[in-house]
Amino acid sequence: MPADRASQAAQADAREAEAALDARSPTDARKTRPRKPGLRLLRGSDNLTAYTFLAPFLIIFIVFLAYPVFYSLYLALHRVPVDSFDIFGGLIFVGFGNFAKLFGDVKFWWSVLMTLYYAALIIPSGIAASLVLALLLNNRLKAVAAYRSAFFMPYVLDMLVVGIVWTLIYSPHVGVLVRILESVGITAFSEKGFLGAPAWAMPSVVVANVLKGAGFGMILYLSAIQNIPGSLYEAAEIDGATPWQQFRSITLPLVKPITLFMVIIGTIAALNAFVEVYAMTGGGPNVDVGGRALGATWVTGYYIFDTFYTQFKLGYAAAMSYVLLGLTLIISLVNRRFLRAEDI
Amino acid sequence: MSARRHTKARAWRRALVYVGLTIAAIVVLFPFFWMVVTAFKEPGQAFTAEIFPSNPTFENFRRVLTEFGFGRYFVNSVIVATTAAFFATLFASLAGYVFAKKDFIGRDKLFGFLLASLMIPGMMYVVPQFAIINKFGWMNSYRAMIVPHLANVFGLFLMRQYMTTIPNELLDSARIDGAGEWQVFRTIMVPLSIPIIATLFLLTFQFHWNNFLWQLIVVNIERLYTVPVGLALFRSQHEASYTLIMAGSCISVLPIVAIFFFAQRYFIEGMTMGALKG
Repeated sequence: MPADRASQAAQADAREAEAALDARSPTDARKTRPRKPGLRLLRGSDNLTAYTFLAPFLIIFIVFLAYPVFYSLYLALHRVPVDSFDIFGGLIFVGFGNFAKLFGDVKFWWSVLMTLYYAALIIPSGIAASLVLALLLNNRLKAVAAYRSAFFMPYVLDMLVVGIVWTLIYSPHVGVLVRILESVGITAFSEKGFLGAPAWAMPSVVVANVLKGAGFGMILYLSAIQNIPGSLYEAAEIDGATPWQQFRSITLPLVKPITLFMVIIGTIAALNAFVEVYAMTGGGPNVDVGGRALGATWVTGYYIFDTFYTQFKLGYAAAMSYVLLGLTLIISLVNRRFLRAEDI
Repeated sequence: MSARRHTKARAWRRALVYVGLTIAAIVVLFPFFWMVVTAFKEPGQAFTAEIFPSNPTFENFRRVLTEFGFGRYFVNSVIVATTAAFFATLFASLAGYVFAKKDFIGRDKLFGFLLASLMIPGMMYVVPQFAIINKFGWMNSYRAMIVPHLANVFGLFLMRQYMTTIPNELLDSARIDGAGEWQVFRTIMVPLSIPIIATLFLLTFQFHWNNFLWQLIVVNIERLYTVPVGLALFRSQHEASYTLIMAGSCISVLPIVAIFFFAQRYFIEGMTMGALKG
């Protein structure tokens, strides 16, 4: 926090200096070349140039990112008739009807529950995997660079493809993982595979995703670990601290900012989960919950997709995405409070 | 004696780290290894017990490229990703320049507002963006796949961070020499920002190459399928043909793997810069 304020102050200083510079140059220009007053007014500040340069970015931002947030609310308050050919001509105002329906939709609350379950699995395991890789790489060894690239590479690849490859690996009966396990006498997965067994489907999706994404956190942790002064470890060693104690009381507290960052972006990513589920399970396999068949990986992102792409209920899907947004904002507010409390 | 024990302990530790790293690498890379070997197995032999195919064949690649249109999908992906990366990088550098070097009304508020939008989950945009594209009559076109994602806020942030470090004196001296704003941008900012421009180009190219969900939504004619869309729909029609699916998967990741191999520094720095500096 103090460092933050210092950098803000430095920025403010720099801005003042810039302003002083800017104030000087137009005066010089005026002396040499007299200009029309209107034009001079525009030149006096950078407003015209600035907004001209910003225009392409801002136009796209407004039309495709800012406006949609409001338009989505408008859609959420309407019903889009499925049978009408002009799908956007005949919107029917339903007020909060979509939200009311959503409130009583068991499938939706189940999806929220599954999304939270997914987040609860993937955030800690992703952090643990990243940290383990970073600790392994934090050794002065020859081949470190090659290993680092190997761990990072999957992160840049398409989740869809990675998911499809994992469905092959996780296949029942003849899949490679099932066969490896059978060779050591474990046959529990042979019949349904990993993605077909309700209890194992979600953890299996998580494993595939963690192995793909761990390289990103690894780089962040590695640079944080390498910034820790070696003298801290030397002092601890002199005091007779074991490597585990050194990790617990030096490394872990000093990489906490990275951990918090990982929690925040991990939350947003988990609430957004869609492609991994689409590629691997399609929301299934079904479990029987009080007489109702519900998908073991039926996350909200997938429900939104299904509602709008397969069933073409745009209004209902928009209402759902609004609830998802609310959930994201609440969680990130909680995170931020947590962050601030930790910082002081 | 104790010194020798110390070096011995260190050698053990070193060996242990190597073993750990190698196991981790095998686990992380196994899916890609499996994808490649399966793609080279004879059609219908995806689930044979052998690890390496006894008769490696290019038949799967030939079939997906000629019979199943992956060649066409590949061209579409190249068109979409390249065009989008070019314009997204251009727009972000123009905007990054003014946020880094200009003082204008509402600058800090606007920047904060733009950054705040990064907190909104992407799923939120899918439905309204689809509705807007539909209203514009852009369905089934390249621009539908490209235009909605040209305002890259994270890219703008990277650009601004980098361009702030370029000394103002350089810009001022060019202005004194009579250069207009566009010239200052083109002849000073752009050449000095090449590393970050290259980084952002690669990152946006990668983003659009992998932008499956959006491309699936706005395109439903085969002529315009990109590789991931083609792959997903191919799989839903030929669920059992894993050798063909894996050949398609190889084709799908190949360009990104190649780019990563040659320019990984840019990837790693670009993707982690925001987190480390912000």
